[in-house]
Amino acid sequence: MRAPAISIKGRAFGDRVLLALVILLSIVMLAPVLWVIGLSLKENAELMANPNSVFQAPYTLKNYINTIGTSSVFIWVFNSIIVSGGLTLGTLILSSLAGYGFARLNFPGRNILFVVVLFGLAVPEQAVLVARHQIFSLLNFHNTYHGLILPGLSASFGVFLMTQYFKAIPKELDEAAMLDNASRFRIFWKVLLPLTVPAQATLGIFTFLGAWNDYLWPLISATKKDMYTLTVGMASTQTNFAQSEGIGFLMAQAVFAGAPILIVYLFFQKYIVTAVSGAAVR
Amino acid sequence: MTADIEIRNVSKHFGTMTVLDDLSLSIKAREFIVFLGPSGCGKSTLLRMIAGLETVDSGEIAINNERIDHLPPGKRGIAMVFQSYALYPHMSVRDNMAFGLENIGMSREVIDARIGEAARILEMARLLERKPGQLSGGQRQRVAIGRAIVKEPKAFLFDEPLSNLDAALRTRTRIELAQLHQRLQSTMIFVTHDQVEAMTLADRIVVMNDRKIEQIGSPMEIYERPATKFVAGFVGAPAMNFVEATLDRSGRNATASFADGVSVQTEIASSQLADGKHTFGIRSEDVRVVAAGQGNADGVVDVLERLGERTLVYARLGDGQQIVGSDAGNSRVAVGHKVGLAFDGQKSHLFSETGRAWHAREA
Amino acid sequence: MADRLTMPQTAMPAASVRAPSVDIYAPQWRNFMFVAPFLFFFTTLLVVPLLWGMWLSFHKADTFSSGNFVGFGNYIRLFHDKVFLQSVWNTFYFVLLTVPALALIGLFLALCLNRRTRTAAVLRTLFFSSSVLSVTIVTLIWRIVFIPNVGLLSTIYGWFGATAPAFISDPSLAMIGIAIATVWWCIGLPMMLFLSALQQIPQDIYEAAALDNASRWQTLRSITLPSIKRTFILVVIVQIVLQFQLFGQAWLMTRGGPNNLTKPIVLYIYDTAFRRWDLGMGAAASEVLFILILIAAMAQYLVTRNNADRT
Repeated sequence: MRAPAISIKGRAFGDRVLLALVILLSIVMLAPVLWVIGLSLKENAELMANPNSVFQAPYTLKNYINTIGTSSVFIWVFNSIIVSGGLTLGTLILSSLAGYGFARLNFPGRNILFVVVLFGLAVPEQAVLVARHQIFSLLNFHNTYHGLILPGLSASFGVFLMTQYFKAIPKELDEAAMLDNASRFRIFWKVLLPLTVPAQATLGIFTFLGAWNDYLWPLISATKKDMYTLTVGMASTQTNFAQSEGIGFLMAQAVFAGAPILIVYLFFQKYIVTAVSGAAVR
Repeated sequence: MTADIEIRNVSKHFGTMTVLDDLSLSIKAREFIVFLGPSGCGKSTLLRMIAGLETVDSGEIAINNERIDHLPPGKRGIAMVFQSYALYPHMSVRDNMAFGLENIGMSREVIDARIGEAARILEMARLLERKPGQLSGGQRQRVAIGRAIVKEPKAFLFDEPLSNLDAALRTRTRIELAQLHQRLQSTMIFVTHDQVEAMTLADRIVVMNDRKIEQIGSPMEIYERPATKFVAGFVGAPAMNFVEATLDRSGRNATASFADGVSVQTEIASSQLADGKHTFGIRSEDVRVVAAGQGNADGVVDVLERLGERTLVYARLGDGQQIVGSDAGNSRVAVGHKVGLAFDGQKSHLFSETGRAWHAREA
Repeated sequence: MADRLTMPQTAMPAASVRAPSVDIYAPQWRNFMFVAPFLFFFTTLLVVPLLWGMWLSFHKADTFSSGNFVGFGNYIRLFHDKVFLQSVWNTFYFVLLTVPALALIGLFLALCLNRRTRTAAVLRTLFFSSSVLSVTIVTLIWRIVFIPNVGLLSTIYGWFGATAPAFISDPSLAMIGIAIATVWWCIGLPMMLFLSALQQIPQDIYEAAALDNASRWQTLRSITLPSIKRTFILVVIVQIVLQFQLFGQAWLMTRGGPNNLTKPIVLYIYDTAFRRWDLGMGAAASEVLFILILIAAMAQYLVTRNNADRT
């Protein structure tokens, strides 16, 4: 991206300083994670005696076996999949329909409604948390999957994203389809929706990640242990840090919980990066 | 299928801006009509009104004597080819053509037969399974036309369909369109700002400018007997020469005199003409380059444009006015030479200050 | 009307009553059906709770019943509560610690990694990867870094025979510890925003600068930085809005301690509403947070709108 530079000796030195700084920051990024992985592979007693033993064999998978055998982590992973998947699906459907509506169709009060929806972007979850909790108590929604999924469906971001995306598709396509006798819904479903797949992927990944990592709402809504999401469940085991089954066990659990999402990230990296850049350019 | 189209007293406004002002036009069945005009003259808007993509604020549009301007676009029995082609990017060529037919519940056999026929006419059978993104500009163009053909519409609408093609392809496609019209015998309306396309394709040209129709006529009528100064200047390349002139109407035919004393005997009846200032107009091919002193006026050559079969000579008259004349392809005239210019009175035109045109008596 | 029926179609009188010409872009109620499903959830789960929350903040309420109207009572109690004032201060302190660090490190990384090499791509992936982890895992990782005895930090200090600073228990360091974990967690987004801004700068400006013999420092100062000024402001505001909402890190790393010194506003709301079940006062505190965030969001709107005007 940079202009071709004529090499001057001073630059080489400057480059090295920058490189050293970047390497240092990379180490800061990586070291804590490697440390956690290291601890997860060690016996607890050995660790307590000498933390430097992390750097020496013997290593063991015992902590991982214990995690799989004893913790509730599987139930929580299952809950998280249901909640994140449900929310993602719902968000994609609602945002696509509304995005098409706002971008392409006219109805009374459209512009005002769109401004109201945009205003929703500025409302933080915390501002509605208390009232939402009370409403959900009255409706007996706590400790249910829909109780965990529904609040996320009110987020405006997806509608905003899809509206922008639909607006970028040439209007001639709609007009050609109208001349082809297609109904509004058919234009949406057969002509435009297939063209929004990149945006669907972006929005889907973002929604899924956000739901998977959400902490505050599941913390106050899912209070029964078997309704915990992975994030809340993991946090609950941290509270008894000292007297728990041991540091190594906790770390194994953390690796177990973190690894899938990191793998998903590596797979869908391209979409995530475009999503972030897209949000910046808008 | 074919149809005549009737446009009656149609007006169109965008907010406070008038785009079309009380416009009427009859298009006959099987006719190839071209709407020609500069950008912003309202020609595309008029086409989109026929298609149903723009509202008709007042007036009516009828096809085969049935009013259609209250019908949605799909129910009008017409097909349109967009400037950008507007092919559905995710559908194969076959599906692009089938979409409109599926929407009206046509049976698979009929759809396949029609697609096969269109592919044969347009010679694109081997492209049917490709996506638009895998096609060249010219091929996309064909698909867009194919998508219109399979509908067997009462009329075809073309919105500057050639403007996205390169020059060579544009010429070839123009010829193919003319052949297609011969073959389908269908009503076609074609919008363009390119006068060559209009001249070569049209049965009749509708020249539009500034919300109004300036003239409706066959290409040669438009070229030889332009109704207004705008039409005279817009059609033809290089543009018609215009010179301010005073008229002597004492004879049967008017004589036009330029500021520096040059005078041209026209064959325009004096009796038609009124007092006041007029503009004299003549096309470059009607100004012959002759030896100095031999023509109506003398000028000094500014620029030469050698086109091969003829040479355009840009000569400056004594009063600084530039006139384009034409000479043989192998003209020996050079820049800086003094030449004579002979105006053909039979091909001269006069324009009043309001832009109205008069021409020589018809032979 | 009689005319219309008897006259041949070719002579349609313009003045007769007739079906209006079709307008494919006319407002129609049935088009509303496309946005209705979203608006249903938006209204019931966002608009209603927002108004309900405002109403609650003027009442004394617990989970199932909303009690008496108390006017500004909750707000008055709030601003007399030392813990709340402390939490407001803590939040601002935290924003002050994290936002400049995020913006500057993010910019630095973006400038260094904005090239088409494989190494740069790998490092970009690395620096963004922490952003996809949940707060639970991030805090677990950093507690294990900061923890005495088996912690990474104390181990490293141990190699040099020194004692590591107690980032979680020392009152003057606890918030800094939370801030370090937060910067580690959140650095990906600012970096990405800067990277995409850098990629928007037309390449030919750099070529022109190279022809003008501009040094790298001059190019950076007079071309690169001015071109991304707006992005910088945007990043700062976005981060202010995000970091104002600090909750998980503080709750999981320190429980707001020691001595409420790391308790942010959201944790105060959580404590008040969902542990002491004083919903009215919790709602009042959340309104205060809402207003603070709204101010930042308004600033963001103004910045992005000017951005749009410019292009």
